[in-house]
Amino acid sequence: MLIKTSRREWLRSAAYGVGGFAVSGMMPGGGWFGAPDANAAAFVDPLAPKQPHFPAKVKSVIWLHLDGAPSTLDLYDYKPELERLAGQDIPASFLEGVKTSTQGGVGKLFATKRTWKQYGQSGAWFSDLLPNLAQQADRLTFVKSSVTVGATHDISILKLNTGDLSPGRPSLGAWVAYALGSANPDLPPYVVLYGGQREPRAGSVNWSSGFLPAVYQGTAFRPGPQPILHQAPPELIGLKQQRESLDLLHQLNEIRSATRPDDSELAARTNSYDLAYRMEATAPEAVDLSKETEATKALYGLDDEATRDMGTVLLRARRLVERNVRFVHVVSGPISGLGQADDASWDAHRQLERNHSAHARAIDKPVAGLLADLQSRGLLDDTLIVWTSEFGRTPYGQSGDGRDHNPWGYTQWLAGGGLKHGVTYGRTDDLGLKTIENPVDTYDLHATVLQLLGLDHLKTIYLRAGRAERPTVVYGKVVNDILA
Amino acid sequence: MTKTLKRSVIAMMLSASAAALAIAEEQKAPAAAPESPRASKPHWAWQPVYQPFAPNVQNKNWAHSSFDPFVLSKIEARGLAPAPESDRATFIRRATLDAWGLIPTPEEVAAFESDVSPDAYEKLVDRLLASPRYGERQARFWLDLARYADSAGFQNDNARPNMFRYRDYVIKSFNDDKPYSQFIREQIAGDEIAPGDQEVLVATGFLAGYPDNSNSRDLVQRKYQITTDIVDTVGQAILGATVGCARCHNHKTDKFTQKDYYSLQAFFANTAFDEKAPAKKGEAEADFQKDQAVYNEATKAIRARQKEIIDSVREAALKYHKERYLTDSREAIFKPKEQWNALDRWVNHRLVAVTDDNALAGFLRYAADDKSAPEHSAEIVKKAEEYQKLTQELRKFVNLRPTKGSLNFTAATELGHSDSPPTHILFVGNHEKPLDEVQPAFPEGITSELPDIKPTATSSGRRTALADWLVGEKNPLTARVFVNRAWNQYFGKGIVGTVSDFGKAGDKPTNQELLDHLAFTFVKDGWSVKKLHRSILLSATYRQSSDYREAVAKADPENKLLAVFPRKRLEAEEIRDSILVASGRLNERVGGPSVFPPIPANLTGGGNFNQDPAWITSKDPQDHTRRSLYIFTRRSLPYPLLETFDMANPQQIHSKRDVTTTPLQALTLYNSDLVFQWSQALAGRVIEEAGENEAAQLERLYLVLFGRKPTEPEVSALHAFLEQHQKTIVAKAENGKFSIAVPVTTKAHFTDPLRASAFVDLVHTVVNSNDFVYRF
Repeated sequence: MLIKTSRREWLRSAAYGVGGFAVSGMMPGGGWFGAPDANAAAFVDPLAPKQPHFPAKVKSVIWLHLDGAPSTLDLYDYKPELERLAGQDIPASFLEGVKTSTQGGVGKLFATKRTWKQYGQSGAWFSDLLPNLAQQADRLTFVKSSVTVGATHDISILKLNTGDLSPGRPSLGAWVAYALGSANPDLPPYVVLYGGQREPRAGSVNWSSGFLPAVYQGTAFRPGPQPILHQAPPELIGLKQQRESLDLLHQLNEIRSATRPDDSELAARTNSYDLAYRMEATAPEAVDLSKETEATKALYGLDDEATRDMGTVLLRARRLVERNVRFVHVVSGPISGLGQADDASWDAHRQLERNHSAHARAIDKPVAGLLADLQSRGLLDDTLIVWTSEFGRTPYGQSGDGRDHNPWGYTQWLAGGGLKHGVTYGRTDDLGLKTIENPVDTYDLHATVLQLLGLDHLKTIYLRAGRAERPTVVYGKVVNDILA
Repeated sequence: MTKTLKRSVIAMMLSASAAALAIAEEQKAPAAAPESPRASKPHWAWQPVYQPFAPNVQNKNWAHSSFDPFVLSKIEARGLAPAPESDRATFIRRATLDAWGLIPTPEEVAAFESDVSPDAYEKLVDRLLASPRYGERQARFWLDLARYADSAGFQNDNARPNMFRYRDYVIKSFNDDKPYSQFIREQIAGDEIAPGDQEVLVATGFLAGYPDNSNSRDLVQRKYQITTDIVDTVGQAILGATVGCARCHNHKTDKFTQKDYYSLQAFFANTAFDEKAPAKKGEAEADFQKDQAVYNEATKAIRARQKEIIDSVREAALKYHKERYLTDSREAIFKPKEQWNALDRWVNHRLVAVTDDNALAGFLRYAADDKSAPEHSAEIVKKAEEYQKLTQELRKFVNLRPTKGSLNFTAATELGHSDSPPTHILFVGNHEKPLDEVQPAFPEGITSELPDIKPTATSSGRRTALADWLVGEKNPLTARVFVNRAWNQYFGKGIVGTVSDFGKAGDKPTNQELLDHLAFTFVKDGWSVKKLHRSILLSATYRQSSDYREAVAKADPENKLLAVFPRKRLEAEEIRDSILVASGRLNERVGGPSVFPPIPANLTGGGNFNQDPAWITSKDPQDHTRRSLYIFTRRSLPYPLLETFDMANPQQIHSKRDVTTTPLQALTLYNSDLVFQWSQALAGRVIEEAGENEAAQLERLYLVLFGRKPTEPEVSALHAFLEQHQKTIVAKAENGKFSIAVPVTTKAHFTDPLRASAFVDLVHTVVNSNDFVYRF
C-alpha cells in the first residue's frame, strides 16, 4: 500500500484546492439539493464539512446498541423491593396504564441471583454482571427513566434508530452525516460496526438514509482486513496497474470535460476516483489493530475468547473516532456457543441467567476498556458514548426464568464530553416496571445527542415533498439536566 | 375562506416545532402569505386544467411538438435562442437510454445516422416505444412510486414471492399503452371493477405493497398503519398531495384538514388483502410445481411428523397463540364468528393469514421451557425437543426449496362484505384516541363533489368511487402530476420541481401554461402515456444539444428555461444494464419471478425468525444477467451494486432519484469483480468484432459504449496507456510466473496475451469514464 504515499500529497491538494469541491454557504444543518442542473454550477460535495448551529461539545458519537434489550434491572437499576416480593404476583397498582401482551395476567415477580454494590464517588449501583464497567462509574451519566413504544423488537429498534415505528425515516447517524458532512474525506462519516461475522438481521434499515440522499447512509464495515465492500481491486489487478488505469481515466475525463468548463458535478466524479483510491488504503488502516500495543489489546479483552469479538469492534470504534468519523453505530453481536434465536441477542425470555451472563461478559470489559482508553488518549471529552437498547425487560418473569419486553421504564447511559458525570437522571417505580420521574423517550435522546454535536434538532431540516422534516419528527426535547 | 386560512397559520405557530417551521415559512413566504387578496382564490394546482392559447413565437420553424412553443416563448422572452439540435449519435444514445434504460447498439446508431428519410426521428421513436424494453423502463419509475418490493420489510422481512405479478402487470400496462385512467382505476379498485379476473386483480398489488410485520401483536394498530401507508402512497403518487401531513394535525400549508385526511382513509376502511389467491397455471407455475415436488418429496417424512406433533397440541397451541395478542385484538379474536363486526372480520382474517404451524410451534417451546406452566409435562418437553430437531433437519433442505415465484397471487378484497368499519378522526394521529366519526369524502378544499358509492354484493364500492374521482374529468391534479413526472423523467427536473407535492409548500411551476397544455392534451388523447412520451421524444425541446453555452449558463444558471438540454447521470439500473448490453451478457427475458444474482456472503444476514436465508443465489447463471428490475427487491437487503448509485428506497414512495457522487460509487465500479468480469467479456467481444487491428478495436469499443468514434487526443492517450501498461503487467511477474486477466471470448484469438490483458484494463477504465455513466 505504500506505493500511494508519494501520490498522496499531490492528490490531496488537487482534490481540495480549487478543483470542484466548494464548501457552500448554505444554512447550518444542511440544505443541499441533488437536482441535476444542465450546467451543474450549483453542485456541491454533499459530504463537505458544514458548521454546526452552535459550538459542539463532542466531535464524534459511538452509538452502542445492545441488541435484543438487556434487562437493566439486572445491571444498573437496583430494586430491593423486587427481591423482597419475588415469587409473588405484581401488585395491580404497578400495572396501571400498561398494556401487556399476555392474557390472564403476567408472570410472578422474578429476581435473579445478582449481588449489588455501589461504586465510585457517585455511589452508582452495579450488579456483579458488570465488574469492569463498575470501575468507570464516575464517568457515566445514567438515564434510569427511558421510555419508548412497541412490543416487538423490530419496530422498537427502528424507533430507537430512526424515530419511527415504520421503516423509511433516516437514522440518527444519517442526520448527523447530512447536517455536519465529513470531517475526514478519506473515510465515510457514518460507519456501522457489528459483532459476529454477519450483518445483523434486517439491519440496514436501521442505518438507512431514509428519504435523505443515499450518500448519508451508514457504511457497514465488515469484519476482517477489508472493511468496505469493493475495497480492494479485482483479484488480478495490481496496485500499480490500477494507478495507471486511474491516470488514464483522469485523462479521458479531462479531454471530454474541456468543453464543459463549469460542470463541477463531472469534476467531482473525476475526483471521487482519487478519493476512492485513497480509501483503499485508509479504510483497512483504520481498522488494522496490528499497531496497537499488547496492553491496549488486553484493555479491550482481545486476549480472551469471551471478549475478543466485542473488544475488536470497540477498539475499531476508537480508531475510527480518532480518525474523525462522526458517528460510529455499534450493534452487539451473537455469542458463539450460546445458541440461536433469542440467545443470539440479549432477548432473555427464558434462562436469563445463562443469557445475560454470557452477553454481559462479552461487553463488560470491552466497553470499560473503551472508556479508559479514550480517557487516557484525551479523546473522551471529544466523544459521546451512548449505551442504548430498544427497550428494557420486565420485573415479572416469563417462562419461569426469563423476562418479557418493557418499553415503560429502563436504563440507558451516556459518557464523554458535555455531560454531568456520575449522575443519575429519572427513575422507575419500586419494582422497575414504569418510569415515574423525568421520562426520556428516544426522541429526547436523539435531541440530546444532536445538541452535544452542536445541532439544534428543531433546526436540522430537510425539505421533502414540501415538508420540513427533522430528526425528531414532531417530538423531542433536549435533556438539559444532564448537560454540563 | 380567508378565515380558515388564518386559523391554519395560527395552528402552525403553536406547534412544537415553531423554529423549524419558521424556516420553512421563510422560504415559502410568498406562497403562504394569507393576507394577500389572491389568497381567496384556490391554489393554482387545485384549479381546473384548461387549454392555454399557444403563445406567439419568433422562430416559427422550431417546434416539432405542440408544446414546443410554450418552451420557446419563455426562452425568447429572455432574449435567448434554443440550443442547436444535438448530433444524431448523441440523440439516439439519449433517447434509447431514456426510453429503454439501455445503450443502443453500434448498428442502431449507424442506421439512424445514415437514415436520410424525412421521418427518421419518427421511425426511431416509434421503434423505441414499440419494444418491450420500453415497458420495462417505464415500469421502474412507477414501481418506485408504488414502493415495490418482493418482501414485506421489518425485521422478519418475509418474502412476497408472488408480487412479481404486480410488477409484470405494470410492465405490460405500459407496453400495451393502457390508458393511465384505467391503469389507476385497476390499481385502486381492480377487485371491485373486475372480480374474478386475475389480470386486473393483481393490479391491486399497488395497494398491497405496504411494509408489514407478520409478527405484530397489535392487529388494530397494524390495520391503521397499513391504511396510513396506502393513503400516503395514493395521495403522493397520484394526487401529488402530501395528505399524510394532515394525519396528526390540519395540514400546515395546504387547506387540508384532519377530517379530509381521515375521510380519505375511510375509502380503505374495509380493505383487506388475500396474499394466497390461487393463480392460473402457466409456464412459471409449472416450473414452480416441479421444484416444489422435489422439495416436498425429499422432506415428506419430516413435515408429516412435524404436523403430527402440532396436531396433537393444536387446540392448546392456537389458544396460546391467540392470547398473545394485545387487548384490542383479543377482543375480536375471542368473539364468536356470528357476532363479528367489520373490524372483527378484518382482524380475524389477518390472524388466519399469519398463523401457520411454525407460529403454533411457539407453544411447544413455551410449555417445555416454563416449568410453572400448567401445560408443562415430560411429554411436552419431548415433543418440543423432537419438533426442534425436525426443524434443524428440515433446514438442511433449504437449498432445495423453490425460490422462483409462487402458485398464488395477491389482491385486495373486502372479504365478501359491503359494510365497512367506522373511521374516526384520531387525536394527534393516535389510533387509541378516536374523535368524530367520518364518512368517505374527497378533500373539501379541492372539490365539492361527493363520492358516488355503489356497494356491490361483496364489496363496499368505496374504492371504485375514489378511483373514479381520481381519474374524473374534473380532477385538477391527477393529469398534471403525471405529465410532470414524465417531464421530470426526460428533463431531469419537473416543471413543478417537487414532483410529489403540488401543494403550497411545493415548488411553483416554472411554466404553468406548458404544464396545463401537456395535462390537457394528455387527457384529450385518452390518457395515452405513449402519445405523451412520443410528443416529448420528438419535440424540438428534447432534440437540443447539451453542449455548454456560456450565455445561457449566465442568464439561466438553473436551466429553468431549458435552452440547453440537461445532461444526466445514469440511474443505477441503467448503469448495470448498459454494461450488460455492452458485454453482450444481457438476458433479455421479459417478466417472471424475481431472480437472485450473487451478493457478498457477509450480507446474507442471519435469516428471519424461521432462519430462512435472506438470499439464495439463483442456480441458473442466466438469472444473474437479467435486467435490474427483475432482481429480487428485499427490503432489508438492497442489491449492493445498485444501492450505491441511488436506487429507490422501497420502504416508502420514492418520488425522485437522487444524484450523488461518492467515492463508494467509484470503488463499486472499478473494484467490483462483476464489473471487471463484464469488462473482460466486453474486451472479448470487441476483439471478436474488430479483429486484431488495435485502432479498429479502439474504434469499436467507443462505438459500443458511446455510439461514436474516439477523438484524436483520446486515441493517443489510449495507445500510450497500452504501451506503458503492458510493461507494468510484465513487471508484475514473479520468478517468471504471473497471472493475468485476459479477454473472455470463445471465438477470437489474441496472439499476445500481455497486450490483451492491458486491453482488458483499458476497457475496464473506459467503462468507468464519465462519458459512459452520463447521457448527454
